[in-house]
Amino acid sequence: MNCHEVRQHWNLYHDSEGDAGLHFQVNEHLAACAECAEWFALQSRFEDALAEKLRSRAGTPVLWNQVLSRAGLKRPASVVRSWLWLGGMAACVALIGAILGIVNRASPPDLAKLSAAWHQRLATGQEAVQFANESDLEVERYLRKRVAFPVRCPPRQDTGFAVQGAGVGALAEQPAAYLSGHVDDAPVSILILPRDGLASFPRQQAAVRTEPTHHSREGQYAMVLGVIDQNAVLVVGATDPARLEKVLRAYGTYPEIH
Amino acid sequence: MRHLEPLQASLEAYCRRSLNHGDAIADVLQSAVANAFRDFDRYAEGTDFRAWMFRYVHLEILNTNRKSARLGHAERPPEVAVEDIWQLALTEPLAKVLLDDPEPILDQCDAAVSEAVRELPALERSVLLLRTIGEFKYRETAEILQIPIGTVMSALARGRSRLRERLLSYAEKQGLLRS
Repeated sequence: MNCHEVRQHWNLYHDSEGDAGLHFQVNEHLAACAECAEWFALQSRFEDALAEKLRSRAGTPVLWNQVLSRAGLKRPASVVRSWLWLGGMAACVALIGAILGIVNRASPPDLAKLSAAWHQRLATGQEAVQFANESDLEVERYLRKRVAFPVRCPPRQDTGFAVQGAGVGALAEQPAAYLSGHVDDAPVSILILPRDGLASFPRQQAAVRTEPTHHSREGQYAMVLGVIDQNAVLVVGATDPARLEKVLRAYGTYPEIH
Repeated sequence: MRHLEPLQASLEAYCRRSLNHGDAIADVLQSAVANAFRDFDRYAEGTDFRAWMFRYVHLEILNTNRKSARLGHAERPPEVAVEDIWQLALTEPLAKVLLDDPEPILDQCDAAVSEAVRELPALERSVLLLRTIGEFKYRETAEILQIPIGTVMSALARGRSRLRERLLSYAEKQGLLRS
C-alpha cells in the first residue's frame, strides 16, 4: 500500500474494523513511514477528543428519575418521603467514602502491581480461568456478553498468542476483563479496561499520553500498556517485551464475528 | 432496570446530540423506555441489550425529529466531498493547528460542536453518534439502523469529514487557530 491508499483506510483502522490483513498492511506501512504514522496519530487524537466531547454532559439523575417515574418503572420522589432517612444513611456512607477516597488519593493504585498480581494468580492456578476455551471466537463471544464496555479481542494467532480462556473482574474497582494464554511456553495475560478506567491509574495514564506503548517491569514480569480504540490494554508475562508488544499491537485486529 | 442503569449516560448523550430540539429529551427517553419495557419479553437474555435499547431510543428520536421537520425546522446542509478531509489534514496549516492540539480548541467550541452535529444529515449524525457515544461496531450500527454495513461506512466517513470542516471553519472565524 502507498501513503494515499493507507490514509484512505484510516476510518477502518481507527475504529478497529476491517480484516486482519488490512490491519497488518497498515501496521507495516506505519512502521516504515513516519509521515503517515504522525498523520494517523493526529487524526486519531482529534477523533478521540471529539468523541470525548460528544459523550460529555450526560448522566443526569434528575432527568432519569423523571423518565423512569413517567414510564411507570419507578415511584416518584414525592411518594417516597418516608425513605428520607435512607438519604441520611447514604450521606453518611458518602462521607465515609469521601474520607476513604482522600486516604486512597494519597497513594493512587498502581496498574502494574495489580496486573502482575492478577497475572501471577492466573499463571500459577491460584485463580481459575473463568471461561477456559481455546477458540478465539468463543472467547470473544463470552467476553462481549459479560462486560458493559466495548472489547476488541483476542489478538490474531499469528502474533504467537495462543488463547486459553478469559474472564472478568476488577482492577482498583474499575471493571476489567482478561484473556489468558501463552506466548511460546510462557503464560501471558492480556488485561482490558475501558479507556476511561485508566483515569484511576494516574502514573500509567500519564505514561501513555507521552508514548504510544508504555513498557514497564514488575518483579519477574514484563508488561506493555497501550490505548487501543476504546480500551486500555496491558499485556503481561515473563517473556521478551518485544513479543508482548507484538501481541498488544495485534489486539483487536482479529476478523469480526459474523 | 438493572440492564438500563449502566446505559443511562450514553442513552442520554445520544438523545441530547441527536434531537433537533433538546427540550424533548425527557419525552423521548420516557417513550423509548416505556416501549422497551412493554416489549421486554421479546428481548433474549444474553444478547446485546445495549443495541436493543439504542434501537428503541433511535426510533423515538426519528419520530420526534420528523414531527419537528414537519413544523419547518429541517434543513439539509450542502454536500461535502468525503475526500476533502484527507487533503485538509496536513496540507492546510490551520487544520494542522487544530489536529495538533485539539482539546483546548474543542473546549472553546462547545456550542459549535453541538450545532455542527445537529446540522449533519440524519443518517450521518446517527452513525457518527452510535460510533462515538454508543461505541458500536459497524455491524452493530447497521443492525440498529437497519441499513447495509457499506452505508454505515460511507455515512461515517462523510459525517466525520463534514463535522471537521464545520469546526475548522468555526474555529477559524473565531480566531482560535493561529498557525
